[in-house]
Amino acid sequence: MHLEAPQQILLLLIILFPLGGAIINGLLGRYMAKGLVTLVGVGSVAVSFALAVASFVELYGLHHGVEEAALAYHFYEWFSLKLPGGTVVPVNVQFVMDSLSGVMTLVVTGVGGLIHLYSIGYMGEDEGYPRFMSFLNLFMASMLILVLGSSVPVMFVGWEGVGLCSYLLIGFWYENRDYAGAGRKAFVVNRIGDFGVLIGMFILVGVAGSFEFADINSAAVSGQFRPDFPLWIFGVAPSLATVACVFLFLGCTGKSAQIPLFVWLPDAMAGPTPVSALIHAATMVTAGVYLCCRLSPLFITSDVAMSIIAVTGTLTALLAASIAVVQREMKKILAYSTVSQLGFMFAAVGVGFFAAGFFHVFTHAFFKACLFLGAGSVMHAVHAHGDADIFKLGGLKKQLPITRWTFLASCLAIAGFPLTSGFFSKDEILLGAAAQIYRRDDLLMNSVGWFTLIGLTLAAVMTAFYMFRLYFLTFTGEYRSADQSGDHPYDAHPHESPPSMTIPLVVLGIGALGVGFLGLPHVVPVIGTHLSDYSWWGNWMEGSVAGHAVPEEMHIVNLASGLALAAMAIGISAAWVLYRNKSTDALTDRMPARLYQLAFDKWRVDELYAATIVNPIKKVATVAGRADMTFVDALMTKWPSFKVRETGRILARMQNGVVQMYGAVMVVGVVAVLAWFWTPHSHIEVGFEGTKVELTTPQGLGYEYRWDANSDGEFETQWAETPTTTFEYAQDDIRGVAVFISHVRSGVERRIQVTEEWTPVPIESVAPIATLAATERGFEVRIDGQDFVFRRPDPPTLLAGKEELRLPMSKGGRLGPARVFARPLVEATVEVRNTFGNTRRTTKEIVLPFPIAEAPSHASLMPPTREVVR
Amino acid sequence: MTTQYLTWLLAIPALSALVVLLLPRSWETATKRFAIGAMLVEFIVSTRLILADYSEAGYRFVEHVTWVESFGISYKVGVDGISLWLVILTTLLSPIALYASWGSIKTRIKEYAFSFLLLELGMLGAFVALDLFLFYVFWELMLVPMYLIIGVWGGKDRVYAAVKFFLYTMVGSLLMLVAILYVVASYEKLAGHYTFDLQELSTLFLPAVPQYLLFSAFALAFAIKVPMFPFHTWLPDAHVQAPTGGSVILAAVLLKLGIYGFIRFAMPLFPVASQTLGPVLAGLGVVGIIYGAYAAWVQRDLKKLVAYSSVSHMGFILLGLFAMNRHGVSGAILQMINHGISTGALFLLVGVIYDRRHSRMLDDFGGLAKVMPWYTLFFLIITLSSIGLPGTNGFVGEFMILAGSFFSRTSIGFGSSWFVMTLLATTGVIFAAVYMLHAVLRIFWGKVVHPENESLPDLNRREVVSLLPLIVLVFWIGLYPKFFLDKMNPAVDSFISDFTIRYYEGRRTVEPHLTDLDELKLRLKGVRSLAMTESTGEDVQR
Repeated sequence: MHLEAPQQILLLLIILFPLGGAIINGLLGRYMAKGLVTLVGVGSVAVSFALAVASFVELYGLHHGVEEAALAYHFYEWFSLKLPGGTVVPVNVQFVMDSLSGVMTLVVTGVGGLIHLYSIGYMGEDEGYPRFMSFLNLFMASMLILVLGSSVPVMFVGWEGVGLCSYLLIGFWYENRDYAGAGRKAFVVNRIGDFGVLIGMFILVGVAGSFEFADINSAAVSGQFRPDFPLWIFGVAPSLATVACVFLFLGCTGKSAQIPLFVWLPDAMAGPTPVSALIHAATMVTAGVYLCCRLSPLFITSDVAMSIIAVTGTLTALLAASIAVVQREMKKILAYSTVSQLGFMFAAVGVGFFAAGFFHVFTHAFFKACLFLGAGSVMHAVHAHGDADIFKLGGLKKQLPITRWTFLASCLAIAGFPLTSGFFSKDEILLGAAAQIYRRDDLLMNSVGWFTLIGLTLAAVMTAFYMFRLYFLTFTGEYRSADQSGDHPYDAHPHESPPSMTIPLVVLGIGALGVGFLGLPHVVPVIGTHLSDYSWWGNWMEGSVAGHAVPEEMHIVNLASGLALAAMAIGISAAWVLYRNKSTDALTDRMPARLYQLAFDKWRVDELYAATIVNPIKKVATVAGRADMTFVDALMTKWPSFKVRETGRILARMQNGVVQMYGAVMVVGVVAVLAWFWTPHSHIEVGFEGTKVELTTPQGLGYEYRWDANSDGEFETQWAETPTTTFEYAQDDIRGVAVFISHVRSGVERRIQVTEEWTPVPIESVAPIATLAATERGFEVRIDGQDFVFRRPDPPTLLAGKEELRLPMSKGGRLGPARVFARPLVEATVEVRNTFGNTRRTTKEIVLPFPIAEAPSHASLMPPTREVVR
Repeated sequence: MTTQYLTWLLAIPALSALVVLLLPRSWETATKRFAIGAMLVEFIVSTRLILADYSEAGYRFVEHVTWVESFGISYKVGVDGISLWLVILTTLLSPIALYASWGSIKTRIKEYAFSFLLLELGMLGAFVALDLFLFYVFWELMLVPMYLIIGVWGGKDRVYAAVKFFLYTMVGSLLMLVAILYVVASYEKLAGHYTFDLQELSTLFLPAVPQYLLFSAFALAFAIKVPMFPFHTWLPDAHVQAPTGGSVILAAVLLKLGIYGFIRFAMPLFPVASQTLGPVLAGLGVVGIIYGAYAAWVQRDLKKLVAYSSVSHMGFILLGLFAMNRHGVSGAILQMINHGISTGALFLLVGVIYDRRHSRMLDDFGGLAKVMPWYTLFFLIITLSSIGLPGTNGFVGEFMILAGSFFSRTSIGFGSSWFVMTLLATTGVIFAAVYMLHAVLRIFWGKVVHPENESLPDLNRREVVSLLPLIVLVFWIGLYPKFFLDKMNPAVDSFISDFTIRYYEGRRTVEPHLTDLDELKLRLKGVRSLAMTESTGEDVQR
């Protein structure tokens, strides 16, 4: 139920403040003082956060009273579609805050606000500072539209808007063309996903008849998406829900960096670190998970789509984690970690634990933002530009105490150390996978459950390992750039960052440790809460997110927590042994060189795509671009013009000024003209007037005519100079029958002349269902295999009317019903004589459009009445 | 004057063109100011058309004066919700294009202004004509000034491009003339008098075979103008050689006349043929979308890139039009406006750097974001509009077109061939991003590598003034398209329902006949009520 009144204009203002900030800083920032830019940029987000809190408090108050409470603000109608059948589907610019979007709004404005604050210190010295603030604000506005939009198209505005901001911010330092190229890559890859969202959206609106999430979800609940998709794909017919979800999920793989579209996210680290923290870790990349949760009632109806999501998520988690293990640069490791964690979220969605997946979005926002900002703080401290090689760092715990402690807290959280936020959320995801194994015993879902559980556990081991590898190499041991040896060492004297950067770190670090308790009760059985009770989180999400119930059996819960704890313990202790206070890469040194290189090169997925997709398309494009001006243009322009010119040249050759040639041409001409005049020429034109037929032949100089209108050998008229005669045909004049077969569908008439012999006419794969009796319609017809066969009765019996016969065809027939009717056929002859005395006879067959009437009432030209032949 | 707005609309450019001819050659500034002034007055007069009530379908501001009585030729003009926006687009972009031209056109000012005014007259006339003869006259009238603009003020190979443009268009329109005459003659045989009046001619129903031939003749003329793949090869040449102002008008308005011809003439006159061949044309549109995008991607000349992007965009419009449902057709019309705005602006923007550097090669640029920040901002906004980012005008049009194609001809929206076409067309959205961002990357990002680019001046006042209205429209249509759609929807609805009725009548036509649309509607009503009683009868039986 949506609360419509009073209009919650706060929801609009939450979006408008950052948008206004973006416009002001974007257009005028260049001319404003830095302090003012900061005020506008950070202030607008702070106000937005305050408004979001106010709205959330109101929502929270409602939540206990009303089922599925929500705040809504209807702004205006954007445009509308008119579906077949006449339903007009409006696209409303409307914003809704329910429990799902409420939490997301708080995360976006809250974490976003902190990162804005951090940016003052981090980006303050950059000459593009106003531009940076403007883009960041624009991102906030887009992300909020994405989150708060109540319908798919409005969400899509935000969806593409954040993609644009991502493009602009990745390429923020545009003077480096590689960075700008990374931005372009992000945008294009995301567009591939957007293609999926567009198609998915059309299927949704086609079935549900509405763009609103609420209507689509209720249509899904009422089973409207259950029918088969009308087009068969590879011989199987998936359900509508499956097809819609797969297309939508393609969009999610783009935005949320999953296989196969994850390749843009690691490159996106070219952007400034706050951007990586805000857009490419905490908020934008989780939009795909958000969309799945938003449409959870739909997704959950399709086992196939859910399995695809679970398997994709798990594979992504594994693949990205395996790359992160061997990387050497802070942000790169964190980027792959993000991809991997997003895989966890999708795996949760795929096993039907949407609330758990979204809980991981929530906790991940804190610890991953903190990790990125921590990395930024380190890079700021050592003056590393772009990224920092962890093998040139080390021992930074002394110089950067605040950064170190917050970083450690977040590492613990992401590894799943007990009672940190990541522990609760990751545990619940594994629980979901385990639950599916027990809940479903059909092959598909059961094996997907096993695959997810094992895959995620492995990924969790790797997560704990690579995060602590990163931590130990960065903060423990000796600072390896202190003696300024090696290639491009960093600043020898690192220093802790200013408060504008450390305050966000502390807040986020505390969040990373603490926010997990929102999901407390049922994941910590030792405390003894009743298991069937939802946690606070579960309760809160229940209204807006579907999902499978949490299992009550203790052994499932124990299995999941056991696996999670074991993974964490193995990962951390391995890293402890290998990297604590060390300065060498103990693991990768022991790996086979080729395997290491392959993993370090990110399994060469980019190269694979380049070889199989990008380059072939580029080649085709090159060919198209070249062929257009050569081949196509040649075919359409040059060839015709060449032919015309050639003809012209031949004609011109004749005008060569040689008099003999002209004479010869003249003689030929004169002879031709004389020959033409020597014999008369004629043809017959026919006009109908009532039952009379008017026969005309073109007039020639000095011609005389006589007519034998019925071609019986006797001329009705004498030689005369008038080229016209009128005649009325009688029964005796009839020479034959013309039968017309008119396929109603194609509207093409077929005329045959029917003789006394049986004449076949192919029916073209149409089988009539009725047997045709011979009729007295001027012809006899029967069906012989694939043919109609016609015959004229001998002697011609009856030609008293334009008779017609409807042949009902079988339903599967290509041509549909056909009409067969007969018309009388007569012949007219004219003899022409010219002044030379030569004559010529011309005979023309005439199909009379009317019957030869004894009973003229039949002669109606009205459209034929229906006649059913059974 | 109350009802004669359209005549005034045609008279202003015609009279102004005459005045320009009479001005002394040395009064260059006065000529410029006068021509721009006349076009601005024209624009202001044309905005009066928007104020009319378009909530019902049908023509507004109709004027009907007999011209040549014996042949039934008349001066009949009017606008409806469809042509309204095209008229406004023309009157808006003409002064902008002319104003922007003064950056590069320094010779024969008088003739240039004259050509432009004549061009505006031709375009407006073609959009408002409701008489086939009148339409043809204006249609051909446009050719001459455009030919001159390319051929006289164009680039290096201007003569080749101008002749190619002229001949290409001429071949198509001659066939169309033959087809028009055939239609008129068939009408005369049945009705006993000649007429070129569109509304009278559309009572004529022809059998299938002549319909296909005639539709093909019309379609060829319009498809060349659109331009539809594979008849597009004149476009890159014409664009590359034309001066900035010419390119703007060519892309923004002239191409629209092709689509407009389909909507106004070819489809109502030959419903059966257009229903049958529509999917083929839509399919060629889809080919154009992808092919144009591919070809655009590999161009090294920015203007050529934009020209090929036009092929791609016009493919979308064809697709939406032949989807023959409300959002498809409305989307196509809206996208015509959008394309006029975004591509017109792109050509203006290309003109900006061409005026400064006398080059349009992507290789000659790079890093301009640093040197020309405002120019970068404008270019980016227009790029986003061109690739259809939500919030800009391009998105609304593309979205409606794709939805139209998706829901074409079927009740749920999965007609197999249309489904495939929608999928393919939607990939066009991806490729649009590829080629436009490729251009942006090459021009704006990176370091300034060519020293001559280091001190390029940013946009001057003339350029900002000519671009700003287009930027405003990008967001206006993007955020509140209802203002435009509300006026066009009734006309589109009646276009579709009339078309459908004519199609069903046309399908049963074996011999030519004349039937009034109202009579057909009555007949159809009978059928519909019959169907209703049948279904209720069934219910009662159960």
